[in-house]
Amino acid sequence: MKLAVISCIHGNYEALKAVLSDIEAQKADQIYCLGDLVGYGPYPNEVVNQIRSLEIPTCQGCWDEDIVEGLNACECSYPSQLAEHRGKLAHEWTNKEIRPDVREYLATLPLSLKRDNLCFVHGSPNSQHEYLLPSMDGFAALERVLSTDADVLFCGHTHVPYVRELADAKLSVTVKSPARSDAPQQFQATLKRIINAGSVGEPRHGRPNATYVLYDTDTAQVTLREVAYNYTKTCLAILEKGLPSIFAWRLARGMEFAERADDPTHVCER
Amino acid sequence: MQSFDLTLVAGPPGVGKTTWISQFLANPSRPLFYLCPCAQDAVDFARIGYCFPWVSIISDDQAADVLADLPDQAQVFIELGFHMDLGSPLLVALPGRRIAIVPPSLDSSEWHNWADEVIPSPNQQVSGELASASGKLPTIWRSPLTGQVFDPPSLDEVLIELTGGAYGQVTRLKGIFELPDGQAFYVDFVEGLPGIEYTELKLPRWLEGRPDRFSGLEIVGHNLEQKTIAQALLTCCLADDVLLQYQRQYQQLQLEDETVAAETEPGVVA
Ligand SMILES: [Zn+2]
Ligand SMILES: [Zn+2]
Repeated sequence: MKLAVISCIHGNYEALKAVLSDIEAQKADQIYCLGDLVGYGPYPNEVVNQIRSLEIPTCQGCWDEDIVEGLNACECSYPSQLAEHRGKLAHEWTNKEIRPDVREYLATLPLSLKRDNLCFVHGSPNSQHEYLLPSMDGFAALERVLSTDADVLFCGHTHVPYVRELADAKLSVTVKSPARSDAPQQFQATLKRIINAGSVGEPRHGRPNATYVLYDTDTAQVTLREVAYNYTKTCLAILEKGLPSIFAWRLARGMEFAERADDPTHVCER
Repeated sequence: MQSFDLTLVAGPPGVGKTTWISQFLANPSRPLFYLCPCAQDAVDFARIGYCFPWVSIISDDQAADVLADLPDQAQVFIELGFHMDLGSPLLVALPGRRIAIVPPSLDSSEWHNWADEVIPSPNQQVSGELASASGKLPTIWRSPLTGQVFDPPSLDEVLIELTGGAYGQVTRLKGIFELPDGQAFYVDFVEGLPGIEYTELKLPRWLEGRPDRFSGLEIVGHNLEQKTIAQALLTCCLADDVLLQYQRQYQQLQLEDETVAAETEPGVVA
């Protein structure tokens, strides 16, 4: 069976349309969506309508949660003070624009979805706001996958697609107890994978094209898809609807964000 | 007989005028003077003051007095911005060697006619074209930033956007920025050259309140959206409480470093 996994549409209806027709051309049997239907982009209601009408199983993204629960971000939710300021502007705009039934729908979205040995989340199994960056420490990454009981963990949230194989996943644990010897206990995990679907509507991989992934459940083969679409249309709508014009500038370039230096002492307060 | 040397340096933005002068300022064996008419509060002034503290920097209103009473063996460098009229009677009257630094691709220009010596710019990619396609001369936008401390990833973002043309066409950008670890950086960008150059200024770390030394930004370009630029910059600056928190952290780190250094000091016998 061929699955298509999409994430981070962010109110970009043009990009969603292009990706849906690419999925059709690729003859995928089922679509999964990892959330962030709204935020940044000019058409949050239209995007949600489309996802709903196609009955695409969807988990809740960080932006979807913020629209339901109100903005309650931790300082680690944003890569920079500038990004935080702009994120708040986009949140306020979206909060005003969104229809009540759309907000209700976003509130019903689950945090994760499962299908056989596959698990689907937005950020990480811990939170919609945690970034599973490809550079994340291997042990921590493996811990996230193991916590789901799945072999393949699909995520989004970083807006840059990647596939990470956690091969030879061996966890060695020494149990200190007076009754037993200190022989380390080993847990051998089978090959685990993290597959990040990138972003349909707000890509940050250096090009404006939308990205998503195809996954073949029979062969476990992953294909990262990059789809060109008419981004100028979305950019114009961003300007017309009064969203910050810098969003259009970044969208047209698929701009990456400068990464915040990792602070290992930080504990997320979300 | 004249006992001092006077050198006038001119050329389009980004050819390396200040860099060329710097090779002479680095040698303090003679009394050194630097003058850049009409560029008070400019980044170059501050950078030369920070890098070569033995150089006397002459402001416009001191210029006449200082030039009339130079010490024996003095070496004077006058940097002429592209906006200066080389035919102005004041400049013509000055005795001295006239150096033009021009892009190697430029065969003839008012700089060629004016100079005693033409030096090809090491920056091959600089066009030397002053006017935009519409024939307009570039504008210079200066913003003093003294006392402001930047959130590092936000500063990266905004500089990428600025030099990428998000707020108008930037042909040249120079700045001195303060960071929360108490360090100050000189930032340099020339349109056509790859990347943005960051150079750490060898200054004492400022970890007590807002730095009371010059920092600022200077942009040369076309159609600059000055208000939006100012707003974006301000969004990248740290608030008092955040700065205080950073400074406490770095003071603590500095203290720990000093303790370790003292403990590992070799060969000290009481
Ligand atoms: Zn997202
Ligand atoms: Zn997200």
